[in-house]
Amino acid sequence: MTAILPAETAGASRAPVRHTAHGRRKRWRYLPQYLAVAPFFVLFAIFGAYPVLYSLYLALQRWDGVGPMKFVGLENFAFLLSDTTFWDSIGNTLIIWVMSTVPMTAFALLIAAGLNSSVRYKGLLRVAYFLPNVTSIVAMSLVFGSIFSDEFGILNWFLGLFGIGNVDWLSDPWAIRGAISIMIIWRWTGYNAIIFLAGLQALPPDVFEAARIDGAGPVQTFFRITLPLLRPVLLFSVVMSAINGLQIFTESQVLLGNRGGPGGAGMTMVLYFYNTAFADNDFGYGAAIAWGIFVVVVLFSILNWRLVMRPERGQVQTKGAGR
Amino acid sequence: MTLTRRRFLTGAAALGAAAFGAVACTSPTTANPGRITLWYTSNGLSDAVLGEAVKRFAADKLTPSQVSGELKQRLLAALAGEAYLPDITMLGDDIATYFADTDHFVDLNSLGAGSVRDEYLPWKWQAGTSPAGFQLGFPVDVGPAALYYRHDLFTQAGLPGEPDEVAAAVSTWDDYFTFSGQVQKKLPGRYMITDTKTVFTYSLAQEPHKYFDRDNHYLDDQSQVRRAWDRAVQAFRMGLTAGYAGSQSVNGQSIDRHAAWNSGKELSFVNASWITGELKESAPGTSGKWRVCRPPGGAGNQGGSFLAITKYCPDPHAAFEIVKWLQSPQNQPRTFLDLGLFPPSPSAYTDPRLQAPEPFFGGQVTMDVFSKIAREVKPVYFSPWDITISDTYTDELTNVESAGKDPEDAWRDARASVERLLRRQGVLS
Repeated sequence: MTAILPAETAGASRAPVRHTAHGRRKRWRYLPQYLAVAPFFVLFAIFGAYPVLYSLYLALQRWDGVGPMKFVGLENFAFLLSDTTFWDSIGNTLIIWVMSTVPMTAFALLIAAGLNSSVRYKGLLRVAYFLPNVTSIVAMSLVFGSIFSDEFGILNWFLGLFGIGNVDWLSDPWAIRGAISIMIIWRWTGYNAIIFLAGLQALPPDVFEAARIDGAGPVQTFFRITLPLLRPVLLFSVVMSAINGLQIFTESQVLLGNRGGPGGAGMTMVLYFYNTAFADNDFGYGAAIAWGIFVVVVLFSILNWRLVMRPERGQVQTKGAGR
Repeated sequence: MTLTRRRFLTGAAALGAAAFGAVACTSPTTANPGRITLWYTSNGLSDAVLGEAVKRFAADKLTPSQVSGELKQRLLAALAGEAYLPDITMLGDDIATYFADTDHFVDLNSLGAGSVRDEYLPWKWQAGTSPAGFQLGFPVDVGPAALYYRHDLFTQAGLPGEPDEVAAAVSTWDDYFTFSGQVQKKLPGRYMITDTKTVFTYSLAQEPHKYFDRDNHYLDDQSQVRRAWDRAVQAFRMGLTAGYAGSQSVNGQSIDRHAAWNSGKELSFVNASWITGELKESAPGTSGKWRVCRPPGGAGNQGGSFLAITKYCPDPHAAFEIVKWLQSPQNQPRTFLDLGLFPPSPSAYTDPRLQAPEPFFGGQVTMDVFSKIAREVKPVYFSPWDITISDTYTDELTNVESAGKDPEDAWRDARASVERLLRRQGVLS
């Protein structure tokens, strides 16, 4: 040991020089690779990181968009915590999310199951169901505006045929949320149906065959076999719809205007942020709202993460037990 | 010197950085250097008049550019970046938002605006002047408010139908409400008032003060706001409002309103002159059946825009000549006939083209009604926060009207929101 040590230190005294020279050459050698990935990072720095950091800086200022900024410290955030409109907007967003996601998932499952069975014009139907997803939301909201119109809307006329009285789709708080949810359902059901369909087609046929041999009916098969096997796909769809649901904006804005309609029932988080920053010219507070939204989204993501991770742990365990 | 790879790369990087820097430095201050760029909103200026201006000011290379979407947001972005700015830009009735930042603009007085000042309505001219006396805006149009009503249905029901008679019957807001009650007894299921929002908005528009004085001090006495609020609530309590709440921002409800115009369900309404175009377009079947008269409570204005010249314009004198020509009393009638933008110059009101009987209004010369109102409007200070404050009050009125909220609770909530907003903005301590 003692004999080796000095030799090692002697070697070490020379080694760093060679090592760094070697390292530098090595670094240059990888330059083309670094250059190849650079465009993303450069663009991300300019259009992603910089605006994010700048919005944090803005959240500490009072700024009308034209004049000089005034540093106000954490005042905007203090105000945000006691801002009932902000809390209401979180509530509205979550309510609309639930009101849209639950029926949407059910419809999408039904449609996927239908498309998966042997029907005619399968390709055409798939395209038809996907079409709402690629329609311009603004055009769609204008059309829905005439459908939901309180007194002369098509929907109220249609309900009238069945003796159901006028629903104030655009003035009653719950009807407003319902109207927005219906628009979201219309837009996303086809998209999710296609995803479920892909999931259904990937399921192993032998399980179904076994179920049939064991005498399971179609309903039993659906709830006992198809749904459990489809769980990962369902979770994906719920996570995706949560991401989209927390960002509900256009439907509300075009249908009800910047202030979310009567009672602010259609005021979602992103709409409140937009209205504050771009309609009221309060960019500092707008940035603070944006960070408030960020916190809500992070909390939601953690929730989603736990939801998604749990079944996998479960699966690993059952697999282990099976062996 | 041999060219090693390292030297080459360093050189290339330096060159790249230099090029990047050069690009950053040369991003132009105005949108079209060497030309005079004018930003205007859709239907904000007449394309025919602009087309003639382009020919007329060919030497200045006038380049009108219609801004799609929100002009204000683009302007704010350009001002913040001090790049791609217009030389001339339109500003809305929220012109006061820019009064604190007039250093981005040219004082029109320094370009000789004083010489044409007397050709314009004094209150409109003053609305474009900052509290410090900086002439920021040049008048584009005004929005005198009148009562629009269905002459045919009034006379059928045996009610007074001629504009002077109706004006006499609705001379105050209280008279208007009483008269509306009588009309509704004779014509059940029809309404004389659009919603609480219009009562509040147009009642406040007639007051000499709104929320702030010209030094941006929040008025201690907000009794005019309470007065407008009480009138709106009263109209609702008497069951006189059709309840097309928020009908200007919500497209679904303006569909309801358009249908009500066609069916005669909306018998009358108070609105600024700019609604005429929408009325003609969406209820063509009612042509000849409408009349306008002096609104309840007196003269008031709602809306109207301005033209301003940015300080980045290399030749502000040339730009001002263009502005002056575009909005000259000779050109205003053309803009009015084209887009219904009401002229800000009294001398335009006697133009023979504007004095012609209008078939849509049964041969009435509506200019007589509107011009009288426009002349009587009182100068009132419109602060940078007025739109948000008004929206807060009308939001709460909508809650009363469509959600059954208690009016006193709604008033307290509105007051609290307004004060919170102003505290956040540093206006109130």
